[in-house]
Amino acid sequence: MARSRTETVILYAVVIAVIIVLVFPLYWMINTSLAPATQLRRFPPVFVQPEPTFAAYESIFAERPIGVWLRNSAVVAVASTALSMFVSVLAGYSISRIRARGSQAIGLFFLMSRMLPSTLIIIPLFVSFRQLQLIGDLKSLVLAHATFITPFAVWMLKGYFDTIPAELEDAAMIDGCTPLTALLRVVLPLSAPGLAATTLYGFVLSWNDFVFARTFLVANQKAWTVNVGVASLKGEYLTEWNVIMAGSLIAMLPIVLAYLFLERFLVSGLTAGSSK
Amino acid sequence: MTSGIIGQDDPARRPFNGGAPRWSLWQPGNRHIFAYLLLLPAVLLTAAIIVYPIVSAIDLSFQKIKIAKLGRSRAPWTLANYEELFLSAEFYQAIWVTISLVATVTILSYVIGLATAVMVNQRFAGRKLARVLVAVPWAVPSVMAAIIWWWLFDSSFGLINWALVRSGLSSEMIPWLSTPGAAFFVIVVVMVWKGYPFISVIMLAGLQSIPLELYDAAKVDGANAWHRFRFITLPGLRSVRGIALILIMLWVFRDFPIIYILTGGGPQRTTQTLAIMTYQEAFKFHDFGFAAAIGVITLVISVIASWFMVRRTDEPLY
Repeated sequence: MARSRTETVILYAVVIAVIIVLVFPLYWMINTSLAPATQLRRFPPVFVQPEPTFAAYESIFAERPIGVWLRNSAVVAVASTALSMFVSVLAGYSISRIRARGSQAIGLFFLMSRMLPSTLIIIPLFVSFRQLQLIGDLKSLVLAHATFITPFAVWMLKGYFDTIPAELEDAAMIDGCTPLTALLRVVLPLSAPGLAATTLYGFVLSWNDFVFARTFLVANQKAWTVNVGVASLKGEYLTEWNVIMAGSLIAMLPIVLAYLFLERFLVSGLTAGSSK
Repeated sequence: MTSGIIGQDDPARRPFNGGAPRWSLWQPGNRHIFAYLLLLPAVLLTAAIIVYPIVSAIDLSFQKIKIAKLGRSRAPWTLANYEELFLSAEFYQAIWVTISLVATVTILSYVIGLATAVMVNQRFAGRKLARVLVAVPWAVPSVMAAIIWWWLFDSSFGLINWALVRSGLSSEMIPWLSTPGAAFFVIVVVMVWKGYPFISVIMLAGLQSIPLELYDAAKVDGANAWHRFRFITLPGLRSVRGIALILIMLWVFRDFPIIYILTGGGPQRTTQTLAIMTYQEAFKFHDFGFAAAIGVITLVISVIASWFMVRRTDEPLY
């Protein structure tokens, strides 16, 4: 279908205008992070930095323990994802392949658990962790994050295993594999892209958490994750927006990169368990 | 189990020692045991970190208990928290805020998400880049989305206030986050900005599944652009629309970071949803029993909503 020249011009104008409006907040974030502090308490605002400065980035590394915060976020994300992936791979495979009494109900339970309000589950978890003296400890976050990574991972992996033909395992078993070795040697290597995507998304979910980190770790600044740390920069008597924006950009960079890889998996993964 | 008999006497499956077949986990008749063993770690983990906490939250909601007494002894069983809740104006206000927020954000995200999906589904040079850019806010973590907009809506040096005053739309700087109504508006803006790309990405997948021949045929029959949208595009998206809407509603319903960072539920509780109220009652006012009661109600609502989502499944889960 050919478009007339006017239609093409209008289309491009609309596309560009819409994208500018939607992406502008991110541009403004970058622009602010490169501004000298004094500029941000003056009008008119500067839309393009004549002399961009990395002072805000230097300041956040020099004056705030953002390195420690980043490391905490990474440690928790790796540990909670590893824990969740271990149990989810096995469970997802079981639900995908074997019809056993009750396993459908268990699958349904995981599906519904994805919708659990974190503001509810955090209350009893806080009580338990206080008894176990885990408050202020990163271990509390590892367990808390598994509450939302596991249900998600089970379903994303189940969906992925569903796409691998069962005939491959049957053939492997005729060749002498047990069902367990067939899973480990045949199914898992074939599922590598799905495993990678689920692992990466588990990492993203953990990294993005705010409610658990803020509640369990608030009293122990050394254990803060980067989200809690960056959010804490506001609320002091003078807000250095360039420093906050620099911190926010550093904190979200790994997540934005992860999404570039994840997008096509997420459409099917997020809607798993419902009609396509 | 019914699947076991076939193949049980298959010679290839007999133990190599040639004796009578010994019990083995790998016999087809024991496949269900293998299934349970695979499920076991996940079941044990979730029993400890999901099921037990839910049960103890329900238990807490029937106790009048403050933070100091937690874990020491069980307070007597009482309906007091629920009675207090159903008599408090604050609870009904939170329900109203939750409903308005869910409805507003869902409708706006749907309209913008659908419009952007239709836009980047057109054929033009640079379409791939446009698709990525339209979806970008999706990748921004909620905490960072809240912080970016906080700065844009800042009452003293925010860009939005500057633009409003400069253009003459407002005579003074608006203290957005401390003004009822305005604060709600800011929350809506942040949530729509973070939420529309999700709808857009799902709708784009839906649009790509509509055969182009339908549009060509409709053109031949004289249908205009609106008719093609109304009678081909919208019906073609029916299968993805329900799930996208339910997921976005549940996301707004359960959100914590955006509201907590921007307003904490204020001013005058005008942005206090049920989720925020649950949190504040527990961790600001230390009234754990009362908070658990609100939380249990949010759980019931979430379960009902996700049940609808599961029920939309065309095929059984297996």
